[in-house]
Amino acid sequence: MVIDVNAYLGEFAFRRLHHNTADGLLRLMDRHGIDKACVSSANAITYRNCQPANKDLAEATRGHRGRLIPFAVVNPTYADWQHDLRMCHDDFGMVGIRMYPGWHGYAPRDGCARELAQAATELGMIVSIPIRVEDPRERHWLVDVPDVSLDAVADLMRACPNARFMILEGIGFPNSPLGQAGGEWPCEYLIEISRLSALLKAEMRQLIEAVGAQRLAFGSGMPFKYPAPALLKLEVLDASDEQKDAIRWRNAEQMLESRGAR
Amino acid sequence: MVIDCHAHLEHHSKPTWAEDDRKLIEAADKLGIDQLCCSILTPQRPSNPESFRECNQWVAEARERFPGRVPAYCYVNPGYPREALDEIRRCVEERGFVGVKLYNEYRCNEPVVFPVVELAIELRVPILQHAGHAHYFVKEQPRLSDAGMVAELARRYPEAALICAHVCGGGDWEWTIKALRGAPNVYLDTSGSVTDEGVIEAAVRTLGAERLVFGCDMSMTASMGRIRSADIPTQMKDLILGENLRRLLHRGEKHGD
Repeated sequence: MVIDVNAYLGEFAFRRLHHNTADGLLRLMDRHGIDKACVSSANAITYRNCQPANKDLAEATRGHRGRLIPFAVVNPTYADWQHDLRMCHDDFGMVGIRMYPGWHGYAPRDGCARELAQAATELGMIVSIPIRVEDPRERHWLVDVPDVSLDAVADLMRACPNARFMILEGIGFPNSPLGQAGGEWPCEYLIEISRLSALLKAEMRQLIEAVGAQRLAFGSGMPFKYPAPALLKLEVLDASDEQKDAIRWRNAEQMLESRGAR
Repeated sequence: MVIDCHAHLEHHSKPTWAEDDRKLIEAADKLGIDQLCCSILTPQRPSNPESFRECNQWVAEARERFPGRVPAYCYVNPGYPREALDEIRRCVEERGFVGVKLYNEYRCNEPVVFPVVELAIELRVPILQHAGHAHYFVKEQPRLSDAGMVAELARRYPEAALICAHVCGGGDWEWTIKALRGAPNVYLDTSGSVTDEGVIEAAVRTLGAERLVFGCDMSMTASMGRIRSADIPTQMKDLILGENLRRLLHRGEKHGD
């Protein structure tokens, strides 16, 4: 079993994506042995009003909910986001949200970020935060969106003790409070692995030793990114089969299944 | 045979260089990479003759520590013409280095680089040129080359074999691939940390699989993984993973590792 916590459907404003329909992504998943994926709308990253993209995602994933798990993109600076969030939960059956502070014009330490994370948590939704969408060096001339600061994300997490977080597309955790041993974290969180090193600097091994394999979850970034690099990290990782299974699917499933428990 | 066209051994000012070099070989073993074409760069650039000779000496020593695993590039700063040319000739003719590595001391289409290219043509070795294209000025690398400059150099020297480094190194890879379309003597190194879906397929469509050479530039799983994921025939993957570079390195058949 493989669960990918970092996947997308739809179009991105600055590059043509492939495998970005439900059927296309499912074929890509089949080719790589990926059973389930948490997906959000790529369109919603650059739409001013995200909600039409969430509606499109809900329709695209209908009929595939056993494999494609929809996450809403919500911008807490946009009018009536609370209504949109509730609609995503109540009407669209979405189990989590994705927050894009850099793309949507706010910071993780802003009050609006905390309000959104807490509102989603009250609905039993997972809060996921992509540290980046694409490498900043390949950015379009119209945009300059720096990576989200891990320290700022850590502060948001401290402010939301009941929330469950997935940190996507991050790197450098051993130098962040999120990757250091002995940290007392009131909230649950998972670190997605697609940018972590399994060899040489071996950030994955460092994290397993510091915070445990229960903090890591498989994610690929497909279809922005190829799935095989993240799968290969697990293949060559210096870890037990039990630890690899936890990363491959068990940790993600546990977080996904615990939704609504709050 | 799988050959990484773009690898680096550690500079000996780093206390853990020996252990890090060993880890690189272990990583290659885990990923099925038979050879890593290596250079060592100076931590601060621009380099000078003393510092680039030292780097090349350490690479030569590494070939003894890892027999058959680390074919070597000779790294020079073309801004020291006599010393750079002497060093390239010495490294290729006496030590069996397989190519030249140029970094960002100069843009590759600046005249100061031309004598290096002419010597590489004479010695029948390729030049691995550090390159990238961003849609903003990269202030840390004011003389960064891009694929357009590499293509311009290739048109000036059609008998040269140039390798445009790390298409997945963070710049606009679609721009890079398109810029190389009309420069058949430029090979494209697939290395880098960016794992954007479609880059290999796009490069194959535009340039042909015969012009792609597998590399990691120390991003090991990213680089091997993108070849695994690419939706191209196995025969093309074999060309990219080693056969193209093997042919390139053995053009002269008088050098090798």
